[in-house]
Amino acid sequence: MKAIVAVKRVIDYNVKVRVKADNSDVDLANTKMSINPFCEIAVEEAVRLKEAGTVSEIVVVSVGPKAVQEQMRYAMALGADRGIQVETAAAPSSLDVARLLAKINEEENADLFILGKQAIDSDNNQTGQMLAALLDIPQATFASEVKIADGKAEVTREVDGGLVTLEMDLPAVVTTDLRLNEPRFAALPKIMQAKRKPLAVKTVEELGVTLSNSTELLSVEPPAERQAGIKVGSVDELLDKLRNDAQVL
Amino acid sequence: MKTLIIAEHENGAIKSATLSAVTAAAALGAPVDLLVTGNDVAAAAQAASQVAGVSAVLTAEDAALAHPLADLIAPVAKQLAGDYTHILVGASTFGKDLAPRLAALCGVNQISDIIEVIDADTFKRPIYAGNAIATVKSSDATKVITVRGTAFAAAASEGGSAAVSAANATVGTAKVRFVRADVTESDRPELDSADIVVSGGRGVGSKEDFAKVFELADKLSAAVGASRAAVDSGFVPNDMQVGQTGKMVAPKLYIAVGISGAIQHIAGMKESGVIVAINKDEEAPIFNIADYGLVGDLHDILPELVSKI
Amino acid sequence: MNIYNAPAQDTAFVLDQLVQFDKLCEAMHLEEVNLELANVIVEEAGKLASEVLAPLNAVGDSNGAKLSDDKVQESPGYSDAYQQYMENGWATLTAPEAFGGQALPNVVGTAVNELWHSANMAFALCPMLTQGSIEALIAHGSDELQQAYLPRLVSGEWTGTMNLTEPAAGSDLAAVATKAVPNGDHYLITGQKIYITWGDHQMTPNIVHLVLARLPDAPAGVKGISLFIVPKFLLDENGEPGELNDAKCIALEHKLGIHASPTCTMSFGDNGGAVGYIVGEENKGLAYMFTMMNHARQSVGLQGLSISERAYQQAAWYAKDRTQGSRKDGTKIPIIEHPDVRRMLMAQRAGCEAMRGLALIAAAEIDRAHAGAAGASERVELLTPIVKGWMTEMANELTSLNIQVHGGMGFIEESGAPQHYRDARILAIYEGTNGIQALDLIGRKTLSDQGAALAALLDEMAGVEAELRAAGLDKFANRYAASVARGAEVREWILENAGADRQTMGAVAFDFLMLMGYLSGAWVMAKSAASAKALDAQESAYGAPFLSAKVATARFYAEHYLPRVEQHAQTLMTGLDAAFVLTDEQF
Repeated sequence: MKAIVAVKRVIDYNVKVRVKADNSDVDLANTKMSINPFCEIAVEEAVRLKEAGTVSEIVVVSVGPKAVQEQMRYAMALGADRGIQVETAAAPSSLDVARLLAKINEEENADLFILGKQAIDSDNNQTGQMLAALLDIPQATFASEVKIADGKAEVTREVDGGLVTLEMDLPAVVTTDLRLNEPRFAALPKIMQAKRKPLAVKTVEELGVTLSNSTELLSVEPPAERQAGIKVGSVDELLDKLRNDAQVL
Repeated sequence: MKTLIIAEHENGAIKSATLSAVTAAAALGAPVDLLVTGNDVAAAAQAASQVAGVSAVLTAEDAALAHPLADLIAPVAKQLAGDYTHILVGASTFGKDLAPRLAALCGVNQISDIIEVIDADTFKRPIYAGNAIATVKSSDATKVITVRGTAFAAAASEGGSAAVSAANATVGTAKVRFVRADVTESDRPELDSADIVVSGGRGVGSKEDFAKVFELADKLSAAVGASRAAVDSGFVPNDMQVGQTGKMVAPKLYIAVGISGAIQHIAGMKESGVIVAINKDEEAPIFNIADYGLVGDLHDILPELVSKI
Repeated sequence: MNIYNAPAQDTAFVLDQLVQFDKLCEAMHLEEVNLELANVIVEEAGKLASEVLAPLNAVGDSNGAKLSDDKVQESPGYSDAYQQYMENGWATLTAPEAFGGQALPNVVGTAVNELWHSANMAFALCPMLTQGSIEALIAHGSDELQQAYLPRLVSGEWTGTMNLTEPAAGSDLAAVATKAVPNGDHYLITGQKIYITWGDHQMTPNIVHLVLARLPDAPAGVKGISLFIVPKFLLDENGEPGELNDAKCIALEHKLGIHASPTCTMSFGDNGGAVGYIVGEENKGLAYMFTMMNHARQSVGLQGLSISERAYQQAAWYAKDRTQGSRKDGTKIPIIEHPDVRRMLMAQRAGCEAMRGLALIAAAEIDRAHAGAAGASERVELLTPIVKGWMTEMANELTSLNIQVHGGMGFIEESGAPQHYRDARILAIYEGTNGIQALDLIGRKTLSDQGAALAALLDEMAGVEAELRAAGLDKFANRYAASVARGAEVREWILENAGADRQTMGAVAFDFLMLMGYLSGAWVMAKSAASAKALDAQESAYGAPFLSAKVATARFYAEHYLPRVEQHAQTLMTGLDAAFVLTDEQF
C-alpha cells in the first residue's frame, strides 16, 4: 500500500508573527521555518502504518520553492521513503495544491493520502478535502485515530461535541488532528539516510497544471489588541463589577 | 446575487453556527436560501423556515443523508450551485469538512473562517492563529465561504416564514459509512454558542478539583472549557479545549480559572465580551487581557463565588 | 523558570563563519556532510536536549543517584531518557562507520555535546565517558577487543568508564597501585579506584570499565602502568553479558554538585580478582591515556560553555520576567532595564559566544589534525589547556553572575540558579585541575617548543586586526591590536624568565592561562564581528537582528573582558615572587 503525505513549510510554531509596516503581508524575513505541525503528525501516522506493515511506501510531496526540501528531508528523516517537490515561487492556493497532488497521483496511484488538517500560517483547512473531491474518493477530516484493514479505513474524527467514526473504501484522504499521535524525534542515522533518499523535482508546467489563484490578498493588519483591565481585591468586588459595571450577570 | 447556506441541524433545531452564517449572509445584501439535508428533515426544515432573513428553504431528503457526510452533501450542493453567487457554511467541524470539498467540485477556491464582510467579494479572515487579519478579495463566480460563528451574532430563529421545497438534486451513493458517534453528553450549553464560558487550566490542579469549575459553570448556566495544558494533563476531554488548536469562543462573559494565558489559548477566547481571570500568580499573562483580574487561590475563590452568585 | 533552548543559530554561525565547516568537510573527504546537515543535526539534538534531558536536570539534583546492595540506582527518569538518547542514535555521532558510527567530524560531535551538557551535565557525563572509552579502544585495542566491545559502546547499548584515580594517585598517576596479574588469556585485577564517574548504574545491560593497573614485574613510576578492559558482566560465548565480574561500586561520593552523576568508589577483585583484558601493550597505559587527553580536556572545557549558556538563558528569562520599581505611568520595570543587570547579562552572553567560538575552533583543529593539516596538531596541543582551563574558570564566574541577576532568589535553591553554580564548580578541578592546565600550557605547550606554536597563533590573531578595520570597527581594532601585541610581549617575557626558573614558571602559569583565554576569546569575537559586518544583513540567513547583536556582543567583549589581558600581563611580568617570601609555617 502506497501512502502520499503532503507537507508544508511554515513559520515555526514558536515564533510570533509580525505584520509588515506597509500591511502588505506578515514579515517572514529571516524567520525560523519548520514543517507544519499537522503535517508532521501526518508523516508520523504514515510511518506508524509502515512500521505496522500496512503501508509499504511513503511518498512525501511538497509544493514551493527549493527551501521546502528542508522539510521534505525532515519528513524522510522521520521515515518517508522518497520525495516529490513541485517547484513554485510561493505557496499556491489550496485548490492549486490539491490539483497538483491529484496530478502527481496519476503516476503514483496511492491508496492513502494523509495531510495535516490545516497549515498554521494560512489556517485554511482545505487541501485534503479538495484533493478528495478532485479524486472523487472518501475523506476523513480531523482524524484522531486511523485503522487500516482489508482495503478499508476506519477513522475516528474529532468533531464538535465529540467523536465520529467512519469507515471508508480506499483510496481515501485522511487529515490529521492534533491528538492523532505525538511525532517522534528524528533519529541521527535516519537524518543521515534522509540525505540519500530520492527527491524528484517537478515543475508546474511538467505537470500541466495552470495555477489560478482567484483569491487576492489585499492587506494584512495586526489584530486589535485587548487592553488589560483592572485587578479587583475580592469576590464581592468582582461580582459587583460584573453585575453593575459590565452588566453581564 | 443570491446566497445559499448549507444548514447544520440537530434534533430538529438549526445550530448556532448556521444562524451566524445567516447574519453574515445578510451583510451581502442578497436573498438567502437555506439547504437542509438529512434523512427526515421535516422538523429541521420547519425550523429553518422560521429563521429571520431566510427567503427559501430547500431540502434534500435521503436515507443516505442520515449522517452529515461531506462526501454526499457536497455533490448535492454542487447541483444547486449554479443558482448562487455565494455559498456559506458555518465554520464548525461540519462546515470545515464540507466547504472545501464543495469548492473543489465547483472548481473554485474557498474562503475560510471569515470574520467580516466588506463587500460581496471582499472579506476579512484571521490567519496565523489570529495573530494577523487578512483582507481577501475573491474573483470566483461562486464564492464558497465558511463563517466564524463568534464574529457574527446568531440570526433570530423565529420571525421568518420562508417557503419550503425539495431541492432539485439527486443524492449519490457514498463510499463512506457511518460507524458510530461518541458524543459528549451534557446538559450544559455548547461551548461555541454559550453566553458564559468558565474555563479551567492546569492551575486547577487535578481532575477532581475540576469539579469546582463545573460547579461554578452550572451556577451560571455556562459552558465549560479548558486550556490545552488542562487537557494534556488529563483533567478534561479534548473537545473542551479552547484555543488555537481547539475551539474558538466569544461568549459575553469568559471566566478563566487557573489559566496562565498562553498565546494559543488567548487566540481562542480573546473576542469574548468581558474576560475575568482568576489566578494565584499576579504576573500571569492572562491578566494582560482580562477586564477584571482577581489574584488568589482558586480553591477558595470558586466556592465563594458559587455561594454568592 | 529553567527552560533551555539550543542556541542553534549561533552554533550555525560559528560552524559556518569561524570553522568554515564546508571546507573542513572537503579536507576530510566527507562528501555527504555539509553545513546544512550539521545544522539539521544540531536542531534535532536540541529537541531531545530541551524536551527530554533539560527537565530532568533539577530532578537529578534533588534526587541524586543512590547505592544499595552493591548497585547504583540512577536518578528517576534518567534511564528512560538514556533509552531515547540511544534509540535516536546520538551515541553514534562521531565513531567510525566500521563500528556502527556515523563518522561525523569531531566538531559536529562537540556542537551536539554542548547541548547535552547544557540540558543536563550530570546525565551527559555518562556518554562523555563512554566516548573516551571508545577512543581508547579504537586507538589501542586489539581486533578481538574492538569486535567484542566497540559496536555496543558506539551504539550506546553499553556505557564506558575511566578508572584512573586512586586514593593515593590523583594528579600524580605514577602512584597507581592497582594490581594486574596475568592469568591465562586475561589478567586478574585487584585494587580500589575512586572518583569513577557513572561507575555503576542500571540503564544498560553492561558497563565497560577501562582500568589503569600495574603488572607484578612492571617498572616503577609512569612507565609501569598498563590499561585494561574490565566489563561489569563478562561476555559469554555469544558475546552477551553473562557472569557478574568481580568489580563493584562500594561507595558513592556526596558532592557539591552533579548529584545525578554517580561518582563511585570502585573495588576490583574483592573475591579473587576481576577479569580484565589488556588494551594494547603492557606498560603503555599512561601513554595511551595521553592520546585521549586532548579530547577529554576539551570536553570539560566545553562543559564550561554549556553550563554558562544554561545559566545565561535562565538569567535572561528571569531579567525579562522579574519587575522591580515602577515608571511614572505606574507600569512596572523589568529588571533587564536596570543597567547593572544589563551589564551582567551581556557579560554572560559575550562570555558564552566567545567560548562557543573557541570550543568549536579547537574541536575542528582536532579534525584538521586527523586530516593531516599542517600545524593542526600543534594548534590542538596549544588550545586544549586554554579551552579546559579558561572556559571552566569562566563557568564559575558566569554561573555566579546568574545567581546575582536573580538577587535574593538566586540564593534560594528553588530558583534553580544555585544548581548551575554548584554543578559548574567541578569543572576547574577534574580532568586535570586548572593548575595542571596552566603548567601544561606554559611548560609543554610553550617553553618546550620555544614558543613556536604560540607565535603562530599570535600571528594569526594579529591578522584579524585588518579584518576589523575593513569592517569599520576601528575602536575595537585598536583595543584588540594592543592586546595581541601585549600577548607577544608576554611570550618574550616567558621565554626569557620562566624557562630558566621553575618557580617563576609555576607562579605565573595561571595568569598566563587566563591571559591566553581572554585573548583567544577576543580573537574569536573579533573574527565573529568582522564576519557579521561583512555579511549582507538582508540576504544572509542569519538576519539583521542576529548580525547586529553579534557585533554589539563582540564590542562588549572588547570593552568588558579584553582589559583583563592587561591585568594578567602586569601580574605575570612581576614574576609573583612575593608569593614565596613567607615560610610554610607562616601560613
